[in-house]
Amino acid sequence: MEDPWMFYFDPNRCIGCHACSIACKQRHDRDPDADDWRTVTHLSRGEYPEFEQLPVSMSCMHCHDAPCETVCPPNAITKREEDGIVTVDRDRCIGCHYCAWACPFGAPTYGDEGLMSKCNMCLGQGPGSGHDQPPKERPEDGGLQPACESSCVGDAIKAGPRSEVLDHASEKAAVRFENDAYGGRVVVEPVDEDAELAAAVRENNTDQAADWLNG
Amino acid sequence: MTGELIPLMTDFARWLPADYWDLSIPVYLFFAAVAGGAYLTGASACYIRSRRESGPCCLESEIARWGFMTAVASAAIAGLAVLSHLAVISRAVLFPIYLTNFSSWITIGTWILVLLAVFSVICLLLQLFGEDAAADSGASLWPRVLFAKIGILGLADSLVDAVRPPMAVFAGLHLFGSILALATIYTGFELAIVETVPLWNMSVVLPMAFLTSGIAAGVGATLAITMLFEREVGPVFGGYAIIVALFSGLSLVFITYGWQEIATSDAPAAAASHAELTSGALYVGVWLVALGFILSIVAGLVVGIAALTDRLSERAERLGGPALIGSFGLLFVSALILRVLLLLAAEQNPVVVAL
Repeated sequence: MEDPWMFYFDPNRCIGCHACSIACKQRHDRDPDADDWRTVTHLSRGEYPEFEQLPVSMSCMHCHDAPCETVCPPNAITKREEDGIVTVDRDRCIGCHYCAWACPFGAPTYGDEGLMSKCNMCLGQGPGSGHDQPPKERPEDGGLQPACESSCVGDAIKAGPRSEVLDHASEKAAVRFENDAYGGRVVVEPVDEDAELAAAVRENNTDQAADWLNG
Repeated sequence: MTGELIPLMTDFARWLPADYWDLSIPVYLFFAAVAGGAYLTGASACYIRSRRESGPCCLESEIARWGFMTAVASAAIAGLAVLSHLAVISRAVLFPIYLTNFSSWITIGTWILVLLAVFSVICLLLQLFGEDAAADSGASLWPRVLFAKIGILGLADSLVDAVRPPMAVFAGLHLFGSILALATIYTGFELAIVETVPLWNMSVVLPMAFLTSGIAAGVGATLAITMLFEREVGPVFGGYAIIVALFSGLSLVFITYGWQEIATSDAPAAAASHAELTSGALYVGVWLVALGFILSIVAGLVVGIAALTDRLSERAERLGGPALIGSFGLLFVSALILRVLLLLAAEQNPVVVAL
């Protein structure tokens, strides 16, 4: 797989509005109360007045090593050779939930019927629709831009072939990705307001970093 | 830039809803391993009987039949438990067609459990019917009464006699079945490969704890059932009681090692699991597990060694049987609780943000 598709996320640009998760649900015609394929988690630390919060938008990251594919007993999950997108064939899924256990990002969701569904990078529309679709194309080539990306008001999310995503990312994020941050599964920008903590980590002073984290 | 990851949350939530951790899972994981232990008891009793060249009317025959019966029942319970957890049962039932990913422990485990069940049924039928069984007596022969009532006992006896394999094939059957019984270690691997849950992600400790505790529970259950009907605590019971004690001891070693790993781990999810196991209802479970294993070690060794060396006084013999039945019964419950605890206290690693 030369240039697999992947996600990029910039927490500095995310305002935590949840537009990405709503747009995802709308694009795939899913019930409002169904589990989100794309979630926005608000990470927090400290106590008032030293309270801080950071929104993190997450979905299936279409991992290069796809742990869900490895553990899926009926081979219902496929890491596609042509574009690297991880899809699910719901006609084979037995609903054992093993993929949810294996996924580092908690991406698989299960509806009332108990079958797995998750983000397919808008390869198709609806649960399981990505399976057996032709290779993903860029929006400029007529492909469908993922709903989360097109709806993100702060341009915090980007999806595309790895080379494009890395070109878009800052040098710091790219270097960190090459250094296997997040297991090389997603490109994430460093949180730039945490200069003090970042400096501590850069200097490999984990004690100081921990002190800072604990206030 | 080091690419180091720092957990941004000092506190975190369980990502997976409770229904992912359905109680049918620990029941499945437990009974699959118990089936292995019970099969090993049955096969070893057959082997001991053949070495002693004793006739069919002996304690080993009773242990063998109860062992295979326990194996069949446990494999059936395990199968039903895991099926009840699935969304599309029909696809799981058609596992030779659907379960094609042999890098998945569920696929591997399904084949192991199904084959073990088939081997257990074959061994049980060979022990229950035929000329030898017809000349035998004992509580474990109750299915013969059932078959006689519906009028097919003669047919079953003659069918089993007609297909009864020669000794070499019989030995091969038991050998392959025993390998399958040991392969129930897969129940541990099913959890151990989950990298995001530190409580499970111990590639040697957890599978070994599951295997040894499953064997101890399976052998102990078979022994306890047999002793309900055969109260005399002789050398054969003594030998098996020591085996239960040894496997319980091994389990405790692996569990203690795993406990240490979790208690000293820096991973926030490990710390959360440890906190859950040391407080509230789960803490009671931890003590029950420890009590069950320790009691079976003590009772198994004390009564077992005395019985094996023929040093049991009459009074001690009267107490020895109930002591073994009670402690092995508690061991059975403890080994199940061990798996329930591992599911209930499991926490995934929290979200991390790299700096």
